[in-house]
Amino acid sequence: MAKQTYDYDLIVLGSGGGGSVAALIAAGAGKRVAIVEPGEMGGECPNYGCVPTKSLLHAAEIYDAAKHAQQFGIRSGTLTYNYPSLKAWKDMAVYRTGTGEGKRLYEAEGIKVLEGEAHFISDHEVTVNRRHISAESFIIATGTHSSIPPIEGLEKAGYITFKEAVNLTRPPKSLFIVGAGSVGCEFAELFSVFGSKVHLADITPRILPKEDEEVSELVRDTFENERGMEILTNAKVLRVAKEGLAKRVYFQQGAIEKSVKVDEVLVATGKLANVDIGLENAGVEYTPRGIQTNEFMQTTARNIYAAGDVVGPYNYTHTAIYQSRIAANNILHKQKVAADYRAVPRVVFLSPEVASVGLSEDECIKRDMPIKKAIAPVAIIGRANTSNVERGFVKVIADRHGVLVGASIVSPRAGEMIHELTLAIQMRLQAADVANTIHAFPTWSEAVRIACSKVAKM
Amino acid sequence: MHTTIVKRHKTTEQYDEIKLMRSIYAACLAVRTPAGEAEITAKRVAKELKAWLQKKPEVTSHDIRIHAAAFLQKYSTHAAYIYKHHGIVH
Repeated sequence: MAKQTYDYDLIVLGSGGGGSVAALIAAGAGKRVAIVEPGEMGGECPNYGCVPTKSLLHAAEIYDAAKHAQQFGIRSGTLTYNYPSLKAWKDMAVYRTGTGEGKRLYEAEGIKVLEGEAHFISDHEVTVNRRHISAESFIIATGTHSSIPPIEGLEKAGYITFKEAVNLTRPPKSLFIVGAGSVGCEFAELFSVFGSKVHLADITPRILPKEDEEVSELVRDTFENERGMEILTNAKVLRVAKEGLAKRVYFQQGAIEKSVKVDEVLVATGKLANVDIGLENAGVEYTPRGIQTNEFMQTTARNIYAAGDVVGPYNYTHTAIYQSRIAANNILHKQKVAADYRAVPRVVFLSPEVASVGLSEDECIKRDMPIKKAIAPVAIIGRANTSNVERGFVKVIADRHGVLVGASIVSPRAGEMIHELTLAIQMRLQAADVANTIHAFPTWSEAVRIACSKVAKM
Repeated sequence: MHTTIVKRHKTTEQYDEIKLMRSIYAACLAVRTPAGEAEITAKRVAKELKAWLQKKPEVTSHDIRIHAAAFLQKYSTHAAYIYKHHGIVH
């Protein structure tokens, strides 16, 4: 029987981290590749997510450091900021990621870029602006959109999400943030540094609920005592009402109903997968949380793979890129590669940074897993002395044989420090292996060695 | 924006709201819904489907069936079942 011919070998839906990497790998292997993108090239991360928030947070960190520089003998006159200039800096950082080049970057690699929404007609065919295009294989990397909770009056009163928050031309005088996960906390940090009165609310008993309890406690303490935020845990937002130009947010804590008047409401209550693309026509199974895949990133349709936030379980660019590489390999080669999520680093860009990897203590308890754990406060190391830092710690968790399984860090440069422990967990190293490795003095990473040394002695 | 419907054998036709309302109406009547209520339900489902189709230039007849059934489910579970699984044609 003659082999079925298609317009392309691979069509990738979405040009973010989950899609672009696979498209470039396949094009590099000589395949005929097309990308379909309905929004900005590059997807969420460079346009609205990681890149704009981190560039704004970098500016916030410098501003905050300058405000506290007197302790090191540095004096300045009046310290001010110009938020439109900050936004211009952020826009430049976004442009430099290559999104400004748009589709030319891909076309230079021989990839056809189609702008528009893709909708599956069958398992080998999509329609884009009424044009039917077919491919032997597909990768779905359509990402997510904000999940907006059904709060009475919210739509009418108006709200912003992270997409609008990165493009504000001035910080709001007061801000109510619904959701104290990593996104909510990063915006809380950003706007509080620039003078906003921030009310950070979450329905769970603690902020950053996915992190270890010690992390939540330290971040809460920093937010309340250094940033002047109001932290509202166990708080259920009941309704929002317009009050002149401002908004009044009504919420319930325990049995008590309270309200607060703010300039703006930021909703950061999670994401839902972009799955309204005719997946039923292709035989791809999904839930509102995401597309179901096996460990090879293959969906329930054999020729269709999925990667990135639309799959989960993590909503990070680095996991999207990892999954995209796996999907590309498994489409191109007979030797299949399986995804392994044992050592996924997670970073929340606060000051000090929060980073974690592997299992949290709660997850170990849920698995009835006997563990050894130790905490090393960063205050005890030389670098904390030379930088005048008192807050922060490194916590490591090992199984009963001393093999590292998880870690959490709250420290300056935690986002860099975590990779030593990521590698250790990935390579199934023992805490003693890290403890016996020479760490430079005076660096923040000495706290990693000390924490591992404590576990190794148990 | 007109939405094109791709039918099972790849033939196409324009989306016809009246045709959809007729099939929803018939599904409602099949489960003994009063005619007036069936008409209101058909209009509601058509309105919701129209909103869903807003940014979709082209969908399949299978999409219409699945989504119309999901919208109808809110008003009448039995009618939605009949609409989804029996040949009340769109």
